[in-house]
Amino acid sequence: MADLAGVNGQREKFRVVGKPNLPGRLSYGIATGIAKYGIDYVVPNMLHAKFLRSPYASARIKSVDTKKARKIPGVVDIITWEDEDIKNLSSGGGFMGPALPFLDNLADQEGAEVGVIVVAEDEDICEEALRQLDVKWEVLPHVVDILEGRKPDAPVIRPSPPPAKGGFGGSGMGGNNNPPKKGNVSYSNVNQGDVEAGFREADHIIEYNVNLPAFSGHIPNPTGSVAWWFDDPYHGEGKSLRIEGTPWGHDQVVGMYRMPAEKVFQECMFVGGRYCDWGIRKSQLITPLLAKRTGRPVRCVNDRYGMYDFNLNQRFIHLKIGIKKNGLIMAIDDFSIADNGGRGSSSFGTTMDQTYGPYFTTRCQNVRQNMDIVDSNRGKMWVSGQHNPMNWDALMVGIYVIAEKLGKDPMDIATLNLHGPTSQTDPDPVPSFEACLKAAKKMMNWKWHGTGARKLSDGRMHGASFRYQQCPRHSVSGYNPKLELRNGVVHMPTKGPVIGNYIMEANIMVVAEELGLEYKDISTELDHHEIFRPWGGGSDGTTASSWALKECANILKKRILEAAIEEADNPPASMGFGFFAKKPAGPSPLKGRKPEDLDLQDGKVVVKADPSIGVPLAQAVKANLFATYSGRPPLALWTHQGKKLDTMNIAMCEVAVDTETGEVEILRFGVVADPGKIMRRTSLESQIDQVMDFTAGCQLYEDFLYDQKTGVKLSTNMFEYKKVGMLDMPRVDLELLETRAGNAAYGSNGISHSLANTHLVIMAIHNAIGKWVDPPATPDKVLKALGKA
Amino acid sequence: MADEINNINRRDFLKSAGVIVTGSALGAAGMTLRPEMAQAVEAVEAIPTTLTQFRCPICGKNFGSFADLKNHFATEHPDAVVPVTTKLNINGKDCEVLIEPHWTLQRTLQFKLGLTGAKHMCDRGACGSCTVIIDGRPVLSCMTLAVECEGKSIQTVEGIAADPKWRPLIDAYCKWDAMQCGYCTPGMLVTAKSLLERNPNPTEEDCKQALAGNICCCGTYPRHPTAIMEAAPAIKGGA
Repeated sequence: MADLAGVNGQREKFRVVGKPNLPGRLSYGIATGIAKYGIDYVVPNMLHAKFLRSPYASARIKSVDTKKARKIPGVVDIITWEDEDIKNLSSGGGFMGPALPFLDNLADQEGAEVGVIVVAEDEDICEEALRQLDVKWEVLPHVVDILEGRKPDAPVIRPSPPPAKGGFGGSGMGGNNNPPKKGNVSYSNVNQGDVEAGFREADHIIEYNVNLPAFSGHIPNPTGSVAWWFDDPYHGEGKSLRIEGTPWGHDQVVGMYRMPAEKVFQECMFVGGRYCDWGIRKSQLITPLLAKRTGRPVRCVNDRYGMYDFNLNQRFIHLKIGIKKNGLIMAIDDFSIADNGGRGSSSFGTTMDQTYGPYFTTRCQNVRQNMDIVDSNRGKMWVSGQHNPMNWDALMVGIYVIAEKLGKDPMDIATLNLHGPTSQTDPDPVPSFEACLKAAKKMMNWKWHGTGARKLSDGRMHGASFRYQQCPRHSVSGYNPKLELRNGVVHMPTKGPVIGNYIMEANIMVVAEELGLEYKDISTELDHHEIFRPWGGGSDGTTASSWALKECANILKKRILEAAIEEADNPPASMGFGFFAKKPAGPSPLKGRKPEDLDLQDGKVVVKADPSIGVPLAQAVKANLFATYSGRPPLALWTHQGKKLDTMNIAMCEVAVDTETGEVEILRFGVVADPGKIMRRTSLESQIDQVMDFTAGCQLYEDFLYDQKTGVKLSTNMFEYKKVGMLDMPRVDLELLETRAGNAAYGSNGISHSLANTHLVIMAIHNAIGKWVDPPATPDKVLKALGKA
Repeated sequence: MADEINNINRRDFLKSAGVIVTGSALGAAGMTLRPEMAQAVEAVEAIPTTLTQFRCPICGKNFGSFADLKNHFATEHPDAVVPVTTKLNINGKDCEVLIEPHWTLQRTLQFKLGLTGAKHMCDRGACGSCTVIIDGRPVLSCMTLAVECEGKSIQTVEGIAADPKWRPLIDAYCKWDAMQCGYCTPGMLVTAKSLLERNPNPTEEDCKQALAGNICCCGTYPRHPTAIMEAAPAIKGGA
C-alpha cells in the first residue's frame, strides 16, 4: 500500500528528499550550547522552588509545621497541598494536562513530590527549608515486588477502584467481562479464536517465561521551568505569562491557569531526550502559580534523583505455545503479571500491549492474553514503553524457542508463521519482510547453529539471534501545516518542539522537493503560537507530517504558478515611487501562458515545455501567498494491530560469552530496516543507533533496584544506574531498504523505536550457552545460570 | 499573594524572545536568522567582566560594593557564609563573579556568566555534559569549585564555537547528526576539541577512548568518531 492517496506519492526522481548529510536547522546552536533548554534559563530577580519529596515508598503526610522553615532567611514562600491556590488549579490542557489534585499529601513512590513547595532566594535555601519542615508522616504499606504484591495476603496499597487511565494510551483497564479488582490486582483478559482447539491441533506444546525488566527513561535534561508574569498591553487585559521549559506544553499551561492562549508566551523549543515520555512534570507546570504569588520570576527544576521514571515497566510473561511439527503456531496463551506502577501510569506496558501485541503478525488466530495488573509503589511510567514496543519480544523468544526445539533456523520459523500483507489468512509473503530477510542473511553471513554449538578461537562461546518487527508507524504527528511565500521566500512556520528526531528538517526537504527549491531555500520559523507541530515518535512523525506538507506544498505551488501568470500578464507599472521607481525590465517570458504550462524548477518559474525559459521565483511572484492544508495520510497499518503488514525490519545480534568470567560481549548488531522511502537518511540511522544503544543497555547494564524492606530505590544516579557509554556501544551494521510500501509520504513509514527490544541479546546468550539469563545479563547472573556462582 | 511589578518588562521580554520577534541569540528561530557563529561570539562578548551590583544571596538585596555586602552580612546574617569574589578567565576574557564559596564552576557559568553550554545533567561527575577545558585539559565543571579556578584559563563550548579554527568540527557534528536531543552534545564537542588539540589525527579508537566519559542517552556514539575524524584534517590544515 504505497502512497496512493496523495499528490506525487509515486514520484520517482528526488533531488532533495533522501539527500544525505543536510544538517539540522538548529544543530549548530545545539552543538555549541547556544540552544537553551528549560533549565538553562536564568532571569533577573529569579527565585527558586523545590518540592518536598517523599522519603518513603508509600506514605501520607498527616501534618506539616512550616514555621521553622519560614523563619530561614531567604525563604520567600511555602505552599502546601491544603492551600486554596493549589486546590484551585485546573487540569485542562488535553491528554497531557496535569492530574488533579496537582499536589496532595499522599506519596506513592519514594521521591514523589508531595505536600509542600518551598520558594526561596536560591536552591540551597530551598533545601535547608525542606530539611526544617516538621513533617508528621504516616508510613503506609508498600509494594515494590509485584509478585509479592499480587498475593492475596499482600497489603492493599490502593483500596479504592483504579481511576480511568489518563494520559496518552490511556484506555482504561480491565475491559468488559473481566473479574473485578481484587487486592492490588486488576485483570485484563483478551481472547481471539479458540485457544483450546488450537492446542488440541498442536503436535508440541512449548512453555517459556519472558521477564521484561523495568527500564528507566533517564531523561538527560532535568525537567523544569522558569515563569514570570508581565504587563502586556497588546494582548488584552491583565498580565501575560512567560514560561520556559514546557516546550510542548503550551496547551497544558493555558488550561491549567485558565489563560487565553495568546497571553502565554514561550521561547524555549528544546527538549532533552524524552524517548516518548511526554509526561509534563510538576516542576514544569507549577512556576506560574509561584511567580504569581511572589511577584517574581520563579525557577523550579527537578534534580537527577527526581528523573528516574520508567520507560518500560516490569512484566513477567508466561507463554504457552502450541505448534505443528513444522513449527507452525496453532495457539498462543500469554499470561502476564504486569506492574501497574504509581498513580497515573499509562496503559502502555499493560493493556495497550495487549491491543498491539505481536501475536497478530502470525497466522495463528487462537490467541489468549490474560493479564494481572498489580498496583505498586515502584514508580511511574508517564507515557509509553519505547524500549520494547508492545512486548514484541514475547513472541520473538517464542520463535527462538520453537527453532531450538525443532533444530531449525529462527528465520525459517518466522517466515513460516508470518501472515501475508492483507490479513492473518493471507498466504502470500510480505515483500518487505522477504527483502529484509535476504539482505539480513547476506549482511551477517547468516549460518544458524544450535545451542552451544560454536566456540570461538579465543575459547568464548558464540551466540546469535534474530527478531523482526513491523515498522508502519506514522500515527502521531501534526497534520495541519501552513506554508507562506513572503517576499519571494517560502516560509514554514511551526510550533516545534525540537526533540532530536529532525522531523522539521524532513518536512522542509519535502517542501523543497515539491516546490523545485533547495533545502536551504526554505525558511523555518518556530513560534509556540503556531498550530503545526511536527512531532511523533522518531521517524514516524517525519513521514506523517511530511505527507501533509507534500499536499500543502502543492497547494502553494498552484497558487505560485497562478500568481506568476497574473503578474506576467499584468505587471505593476513601476516598483517604488518617484526617484526610486524602477521600470519593469520588459515583458516577462511567462506572459500569455497558462498556469498549467508552468513548473517550478531550480528556484525558478519555468516553462514546462522548455525549462530554459524561466524567471527566478522571487522575481516572478511579488505577491505574498499562503497555503494551508489539514488532513492526514491513510491510517498506518500499525493501527491494524499487526493484522496487516507493509514495511518490516529485522535486527540480529552476535555475542561472545566467556563461560569462565560470565562476561558477555556483543560482537555486533545487524539491522536491515525498510522505512519504505528514505526521507532523511541520518535520521533513520540515528534512530537505529539509539535503539541499539537501548538494546545493549537494558540487556547488559541497566537495572532498577529496590530495598524490599523500605521500598527505597537504590539505583537513582548515573553511577548506580549504568547507562551505555561510548566504549560499551557495539558495532551496528545497517542497511536501509526502500520498497515504497508504506502509505505516508512517497511510500514511507516511520521505524520509530520498533527495533528496540529487551531480549535480542538474551536470546543470543542462550544460543551461546544454552541458559536463560534475565536482563540485565551481568557476569554474576551468567555465572549463576552456568552453575558457577 | 504578592503583586509587585517584577523586574522584567515587556521590552526585556521582546529583547529575549528571539523566536517571535527579533531573532536574538537566545531563541531557536534566531539560529535560522543570523550567522551561526555570531551567536557564540555574542555569548562570549556578553560575559559580564566587572561586578556592578553585589546581591545578597540570602535576602536578595543589592549593594553598590563588596564592602557594603560584607557589612550587611555582619549585621543581618552573622551566622551565614559570606560570598566571595572570584576572578576567572573565561574564553580569554577576564571577569569577576560574586559567588558563594561552594558554588561549582558549572553553576557559576550558568547563573553568573550567562553561558549555557556546560550542561547540568548528572551533577556529580558521571556524564561529561558539563565539560570545559581548564588549562588545556577537559574538566567536569560540575565537580570543580569556581573558587579553585582563579588564575586558570577556562574555555567553554561557546569559546570554541567563537573561534573559526574549530568551525570544521562543529560543521561535521551538524553534518553527521552527532546529536539528537543535543543536551550532551556541547560536552562531547568540548571533549572532542581537547582530543584534537592533543592528537590532530585521531583514529576511531582514539575518539572512543577520549569520549568514554561522555554519556549520550540518545545513543549517538557512532556518529562522534565519524565527525571528529572528518573534521581533523581541516582543523589541522587551518592551524
